[in-house]
Formats: sequence, C-alpha cells, structure tokens
Amino acid sequence: MKKKTIQIVTILSVFILLVIFSSQQALAEDLRKVIFLTGSWKFTIGDDTEWADPDFNDSGWDDIWVPEKWENNGYSDYNGYAWYRKNFTVRDVPEDTPIYLVFGRIDDVDEVYLNGEKIGISGSFPPDYQSAYNKKRKYRIPLNYLNIGGENTLAVRVYDSYLEGGIIYGPVGIYTDEDDNLLDLDLSGKWSFHLGDNKQWKNTSYNDELWRKINVPAEWEFEGYDNYDGYAWYRTTFRLPSDLKNETLYLVLGKIDDYDYVYINGKLIGSVFDLEKDGEFKRKGYEYNARRAYEIPENVLNPNGENVIAVRVYDGQIRGGIYEGPIGLMTESNYRLYRRKHYESQSFWDFILEEFILD
Amino acid sequence: MKKYNNIGKKTLISLLFIAWYVTGSMASDDKLIRIKNLSGSWKFSIGEREEWSIPNFDDSGWENILVPSPWEDQGFYGYNGFGFYRKSFTIPNEYKDNNLYLVLGYIDDVDETYLNGKKIGSTGTFPPNYNTAYNAKRIYRIPKDLINYDKPNVIAVKVYDSYQAGGIVNGNVGIYINPNEIPLDASLEGTWKFQIGDDLDRKSLQYDDSKWDKLMVPGKWEDQGYRDYDGYAWYRKSFYYRGSFNDETLVLVLGKIDDVDEVYLNGVKIGMTGDFVDREGQKIPTGDHYRALRGYYFPANLLKKDEINTLSIRVYDSGGVGGIYEGPVGFVTQSHYIEYWRERKRIH
Repeated sequence: MKKKTIQIVTILSVFILLVIFSSQQALAEDLRKVIFLTGSWKFTIGDDTEWADPDFNDSGWDDIWVPEKWENNGYSDYNGYAWYRKNFTVRDVPEDTPIYLVFGRIDDVDEVYLNGEKIGISGSFPPDYQSAYNKKRKYRIPLNYLNIGGENTLAVRVYDSYLEGGIIYGPVGIYTDEDDNLLDLDLSGKWSFHLGDNKQWKNTSYNDELWRKINVPAEWEFEGYDNYDGYAWYRTTFRLPSDLKNETLYLVLGKIDDYDYVYINGKLIGSVFDLEKDGEFKRKGYEYNARRAYEIPENVLNPNGENVIAVRVYDGQIRGGIYEGPIGLMTESNYRLYRRKHYESQSFWDFILEEFILD
Repeated sequence: MKKYNNIGKKTLISLLFIAWYVTGSMASDDKLIRIKNLSGSWKFSIGEREEWSIPNFDDSGWENILVPSPWEDQGFYGYNGFGFYRKSFTIPNEYKDNNLYLVLGYIDDVDETYLNGKKIGSTGTFPPNYNTAYNAKRIYRIPKDLINYDKPNVIAVKVYDSYQAGGIVNGNVGIYINPNEIPLDASLEGTWKFQIGDDLDRKSLQYDDSKWDKLMVPGKWEDQGYRDYDGYAWYRKSFYYRGSFNDETLVLVLGKIDDVDEVYLNGVKIGMTGDFVDREGQKIPTGDHYRALRGYYFPANLLKKDEINTLSIRVYDSGGVGGIYEGPVGFVTQSHYIEYWRERKRIH
C-alpha cells in the first residue's frame, strides 16, 4: 500500500515538474529588450479615436500601472472599452534588425497606435467581437513611424468583454527578435498583394505592377482589408546573394492565417498541408499557428537573375495573411537552429498546456 | 423551505441554485442605503379590487397590520388567498436626483405593487397560472416621474398566498437609494416585450412583437411566469427618441444578464457577452458571464431621431436564474459613464 502511494507521489511530482518545466520553455522567448515600457501609464475608460492622436492632452486621465488588470486599479467590474497612453523617449534603435512592440497579454482585444499610426491589432472589436486574450502581442514597428532621438506616444485601445481586463501581463516593451538574426536574407517589408484567386498569379512572367503594396508580416485586416475572408495572393522578388548560391536554402514565412500554397518561380514548394503530412504540425484547426518553413528544391532558384515568390493564402475567418515573421531565406544550419528552437519545443506538454490550461 | 417538493430529486442542482440565489440577492442588496423605514403599521384588507390600488381610495376602515409579518400572526390565522396592503409616505425634495427603490423584502407568495396607482413591479404569477415567488426578494425601482416629493405617496401591494404563511413576511422594508449608481441619462427599466425561443428575425425594427408576453426589466424570468425555463429568449423594447444626445458616444447599460446575450439596436448588432454556440454548433458551458456588468458603446447616430427605436436582446440561459436579472438598464452618455467610473475609483 505504502509503496504504491510513494509511486503515485513520484509520478505526480514528475508530472508537475514536467508541466512547470515545459511551461517555462513554452513561455521562453528569444526577445531582447530595447526599451522598457512597464510602469505608470495614462488610462481612461471609454472610446474615442481622437485619443490615438499624439497631441491629445491626457493629463486629466488616471495613472495606472502596466501590466496589471484594471480591476486592481479601481475599475473592478468594469467591462468595455478603455485606452492606455504612454510617452517615451527613443535614443537609438538597432538599425539592421526589426524591432517589435510586445505585450505579454491583453484582455481581450487591442489596437495599437504609435505616434498616431496604427501598428497592430489583435482580436476583433464589437460588433464582430473576438477575444485574443491568450495571444502574445508582438507588433512590428516600422522605423519611419518612430521619432528617434525624441518623444514618442503609444496609444492602446482595449476592449474587455468580461472578467479581468486591460494590459494584464508583461513583458511590455520594445524588443528585437533573435529569430530575425537567423535569416540569411530578410524578405520582410513591402510585398505586392491582391485579393481573389487566379492560378496565373504564381507565374514568374505575371506582371503585378498594379497590385497594392502591403507590409509583410502583418494581418491584412490592418493593412486596409477589414473583415476580408477568402483567397488572396502575395508576391515579391529577390536576387540571390552570391554567398548563398551553393547552399541548401529554406524559405521561412513565419506564420500564416490560415492556409498557404507557396510558389517560387512558378513551382509549388510547399503548403501547410505538407507540414501536417510530415508530422511536423499535426493539429487541424490550428494551421494559423504553424511555423512555415519550406526547403527550396534544387534547380528552382535562378542564381543570377530575379526570383519570384508567390504565396496563395486562404483565410477562413477573422484575421488573415502572413501575419508574423521571421520572413526570408535561411541556410540549412540556421534553419536547424530555428527548427530546434520552435518545432522541437512543441512537446507533448506544450500541447497539454495549450489545449487544456491556457485556453 | 415549505415548498421544496423536489428536493432529493435534483438535490445537488437545487443546492447550487440556492447558494447562487442567496449570494446573488445579497450582492444587489448591500449596495443600497435605506432613507425611509416603512416597517410598522400598514393598512390591510383581505380580498382584491382594482380601485384599491388608486392613491385616493379611502382605506380608513381597513385593519392595521404590522409589516413585515405573516398575516397569520396578525389576526388572519388560516387565511389563504388575496390580500391588499396600503401605506402612505413622503419623500423629501433632497432626493430628487436619486433613483429610489422600494424594498418589500420577502412576500409569500405572489405580489403586484403599485405606487400612486401605477404598477412598479410584480413577482410570481397569480392564479390561474399560479407560481410562487416566496423566496424572491422584492426590490422595485420607482420611476422618478411617479414620485410626489414632500407630498404623500401611496404604495398598494396586492398579494396572493397559496397556503401557510402569507403576506409581506420578512425583510427591511423601506425606500432605498443606491449611492453608487450609474447615472442613467435615460432609463429603460420597466415593461419589456418577452418571448422564449430563438429566431434571428426578432432583431429587426419591423418585427411584430404585439403578441409577446410582458416582463419587468430588470427581473429574473423565473419570478415572472417562467419558473423552470432555461434556454433562448428575446427581449424587445421600443421607445421614442427626441434627439437629446447629439453626436455623443452612448453606452447602453444592461446591468447583469444570465447567461449570455447579444444586443441589436434597430436591427444593428451593438454588443454581446459570451458565445451562443461553439464552432461545432454545440452549446457551450457559459461560465462567469452572468456576473459581468454590461455596458455596450455605440454612436448616438444609430438612434433614429423623432422616431420609434427598438432594442432587441437575445439571451441564452444555461440553467438556474435567467434573463436581465439586475439593473440598471438604460442609456448613459460616454462622458457621464467615464465620470461615474472615475468617481467610483476615488471612493474605493
């Protein structure tokens, strides 16, 4: 009897340790802090688009601690809209690597403005309300929106449906992402974009001059395609740097919501369904969360001229598009590092955590 | 506990229900402050007549009765059936800006309550579709325009008792204020149209709800003739809008709803709390939504000026108490709403 109890205790302890260990692993990030933004912010309940304006005078607003739920700051029982504002000075930022505004958790929906320009949105505001309370916010900051050497204003519009609300957990700050350093050729930035679906759009010879330019990575909703669900295509071109010409290369496309078919120079090189088949990503319905990385077969790339990437994306609902980086080419060795960091830490315990505890 | 016939059948559910119920009613009670004690001597007669609710009806020939107390203890031993209570009181002018609440405590079994001849609340159902509400605490909001400040006001309470103890039996009877209440710019409390079941056509302005039932809002539907009903139901309220809000952002405050809701103004969805169905089309367990205070923001230009406007509220109740069970219910401008929350923060 006693032996059995000890066995059970041991098994339980191992289980608990594993859960704790893997949860830390799951939450571990490769982010490096550039600017610290926790602390006192300005806060009001209510909703007004004028509050995004950097010149708006928020001196009459409350002071609130970030990150912490607003229920702990005198707003118990409050549900609905609220805005946070914070002024900060930027001395310098890394020039050659992307920077991101990161919030650990915002409950439930948010829309972020930097100096009056919208830089990100998560979830969906009413009337088509959709919570994103368990999503980590990581918004690419376009450097031209940032006032380097001077004052900057962040304004965060938040909607909370019920229970706790606000910018609840950290980290809160501006970061670089180590993943971006694994890219041998960064392909983020302006891509050509078109709604709809047409098989011709994969072809190298197709002329996409009249297509709209949008930022990659970014959800297309916040690039001006509100509530669009369905097919859309992305295209971009690149030249192969000479030092990559004899390497095995991987095209890394961060995360895409929901399904993708990726072509280089007219040839299909991969799709999220291949990842599912290969067993790297098994969870149906969670395609938006799969990291896209496709080995580029031999003789597809043009070593001396222009190469065309065309990505056909289908979005079933809410946000769509190539919404998260890193975006670009990786050599085999960097791809292995990237893969080890992300794929192999997607353990059984992460699965348990995400499926049963975090949701 | 005299009427718990089915205890044992669903003991666990019942116990949970009772626990919920008690905490629920306590929560809404402790916010209120009594400004006028109305316990003591009231006028009383057995029977019922329409004119007994009229304020200037001469009740001088009626019996005096102690409130609260079962009428069995006041000389009406063994009496079951209808009884009428009347009481006159004054409210000082200084409370002109407050919303007033009439608390009658517990009434055994059913009541219909009038102030100055106008019905302000009803709990339980009279025969022939008799339904007791002996364990529901009566808290009725008094519409401001019904009150005569510094002058006599008359409460008339029609009670039906089925058996054993009857009347206004227990509670701290009086007129109350809520010092910490959301300052509604336009109240929507009172009689709404109500229909169980589900049909998305009910959201539209043109939908004909003339045959629907009437229900007091706020108030649990269990107390108003839908005692064991769980599931979908719709509320509708039509009102005339004179254009007093200009272009402000407004907040529709809906108090608390058990469990989840979806709100349409003139057919346009303006807010929701919780989900009706999950992705597979199955009903989901609804968790803590019933505790959430609803405040839905919308632009005032959604209201049609100098016309009839209609609010339609789709509700799903997964069990126990159902409906818009706690107020306040009405419109408040965003600026007043912000002031209210900042003041509340300062007090706490």
